[in-house]
Amino acid sequence: MGKEECKTMLDALNKVTACYRHLVIALGSTSDSQNLREELKRTRKKAQELAVANRTKLTSLLKDKTISKEDRAEYERLWVLFSSSMELLEVDMKRSLEIGQDFPLKVPTRHLIQTGMTGSTTTVAARAMSVQNMKYEADSNIDTADLRDLQSEITQVSHMMEEMEMKVQVAPWAVEAKQEAGAELKSNMSVGNSSVGVISICEEEPKEEDGGGNRDAGFASICAVLVFFVIVIVALVLGYLVINMS
Amino acid sequence: MTIKNAIRDYGQRYRPRMACLKKAEKVVLEMQDPKSGVKSQPQRLVITTIPHAITGEDIVAWLADKFQIDAQEARSVGSMLVALGYIYPLQDHKRLVIKPDASLYRFQTPYFWPTQQWPVEDTDYAIYLAKRNIRKKGILELHEQEQYNRLHKWMNHKWDFIVMQAKEQYRAAKERKKPDRVVFDCQERAYWVVHRPPVRLYTHTDEHILLTLFCFLQMIFTQQSIMRPRVKSSVSIGALVKFCTTYHTHDPFLCKPLPSNPWLTDDVTYWTLNMLHVEAPTKMRVERWTFSFGELLSDPRGRDDFRLFLKKEFSGENLAFWEGCEDIKFGAAATMGEKAEQIYKTFLARGAPRWINIDGKTMEITVKGLKHPHRYVLDAAQTHIYMLMKKDKYGRYLKSPFYKEMQKKAICPEEHKFTDVQLEQNSRNRRPSLSPIILRQQEQELKAKMAASAPVDITQVMSKLSNGFMWLCQKT
Repeated sequence: MGKEECKTMLDALNKVTACYRHLVIALGSTSDSQNLREELKRTRKKAQELAVANRTKLTSLLKDKTISKEDRAEYERLWVLFSSSMELLEVDMKRSLEIGQDFPLKVPTRHLIQTGMTGSTTTVAARAMSVQNMKYEADSNIDTADLRDLQSEITQVSHMMEEMEMKVQVAPWAVEAKQEAGAELKSNMSVGNSSVGVISICEEEPKEEDGGGNRDAGFASICAVLVFFVIVIVALVLGYLVINMS
Repeated sequence: MTIKNAIRDYGQRYRPRMACLKKAEKVVLEMQDPKSGVKSQPQRLVITTIPHAITGEDIVAWLADKFQIDAQEARSVGSMLVALGYIYPLQDHKRLVIKPDASLYRFQTPYFWPTQQWPVEDTDYAIYLAKRNIRKKGILELHEQEQYNRLHKWMNHKWDFIVMQAKEQYRAAKERKKPDRVVFDCQERAYWVVHRPPVRLYTHTDEHILLTLFCFLQMIFTQQSIMRPRVKSSVSIGALVKFCTTYHTHDPFLCKPLPSNPWLTDDVTYWTLNMLHVEAPTKMRVERWTFSFGELLSDPRGRDDFRLFLKKEFSGENLAFWEGCEDIKFGAAATMGEKAEQIYKTFLARGAPRWINIDGKTMEITVKGLKHPHRYVLDAAQTHIYMLMKKDKYGRYLKSPFYKEMQKKAICPEEHKFTDVQLEQNSRNRRPSLSPIILRQQEQELKAKMAASAPVDITQVMSKLSNGFMWLCQKT
């Protein structure tokens, strides 16, 4: 069914957009590297492919005049999802161009900001590309060569978005969201409510100053309660024995 | 679709022009240089160790050394960098100041640096709050909860996207190693502390005052736009067309003036015939008096004629009163009070010699206003009299034999037909006209004479004066 296909593709686009944003945030910092630039390039290309596919599918669905009202409302909702993703993607692409130009990799004095992040972003990129391991095969001047491609891709994306606005008449403010406030706390993953696997939200939080304190406090209170109960039981047992003795 | 970044952010958030950002970036780049910048040390947390932490006292010392300033100023500069968002504190993250002790700070990643051209989007903030909601299992801080609810209400159409994106970003962040995750969370949190400060903890900053002022001004502007009187373009275009057709023949640019255009032929007959107070006006001039009452009154010759007509009808005081009001409105401020008094005595007081007939309410307002006279104190009465004259007397004037006689008397000069030789001669005989200063003096003399001998046979005075003008013209 067209709807299910759409939803899966939108999920994929959403995932790639999120990963791309994460990668752009790492630009210019100490976790920036040749690999990161290549990851950005490949993620971006994948995002564009998905965007084009989504757009064609959604435009064809929305242009169809024979669909019912509920269907149309659903497609409009998907359309709003798609266009919001594209907006985020466009902004991130423009920002990555800016930061990429400000922080070239191959100058003699590298100025990457010491942000404290030193690890690599391979896993994020692998998630975006839906592969197990990333293979890096780019040339050494990727940071400058890629920027030109990036500029042309940005114009492409802008054109695409303008075309979208012209062709499809959807009022985004009229769309009603299906999720209510606090929906992210539930473990539903995708647009189509398909259970791909329940993620456990209650997992180990990264330790930080106040976060660590909170967790310690939690642990401590549980331990204290346990100890208290143990003591009470021991006291009861001893009392019983004493009474029995006497 | 949604409003793009390129379009001005009307009323969403006040965005001041920050020329200092580029300079601050340079300073930060130098500060974080591993060799010549601030000394960095690793931050030890319970399980992990994260590098690139700097102490407050090191920052202050480095700034003082670099810019050759004292410690206090270095501290202010450091606090400014923190407030802008280039450096963020690791402990006590809500207070954006530099503490000159061993408290730790870290540099912010370039994506989260403050920029002029990328406004801070509410969508991003909503995604951040949703992520935080997931992290904190639904227990947000008070201001965060308020913002979350507000955004849920206002961005409801995008809420599906926000939830989806928040989940995906959360999962993407989890792919990284533990120390990087901690740093990422700190960075993002610091970014939002700078750009969406918890309102309750701080008193109204300048930004808030300016924001409220801006909103207030916007409200006034939109209210005024709604109340603006709107005229249909068909009506206004119709009025324009009517004006053009009426005045078409009277415009010297569009139609040839009779006898000839002085600018083209250097012959001043046209001007002499149309002087301010001629005895016999031209036909065109008389025709213009029929267009509207305003035309009649603004032409001095027409006004004189009208004055004569009113004298015959024994209602000359109306025009005199109107002229007195004009005098106050456009005259010198020093003599305003006396003039107003004079007018009151002559026209408005009970039993005044030239009492005008205005209704009770207007009289009341005027008398009350005359206690504190100003330029426009007689405006209400003047308008009343003007409308009276326009509706009643003007129509009668146009139909009167007086006016018809004037029409007959009006001269229609012949068109000049100059040959080239004559044109040359004319250009050689060019003379400057009467000085405007002299003209003005004569006007004032005339006025004084008229005021002195109010109900006097004016035509004689007029003809005498106009003769005087002609004589003067011939002399110069």
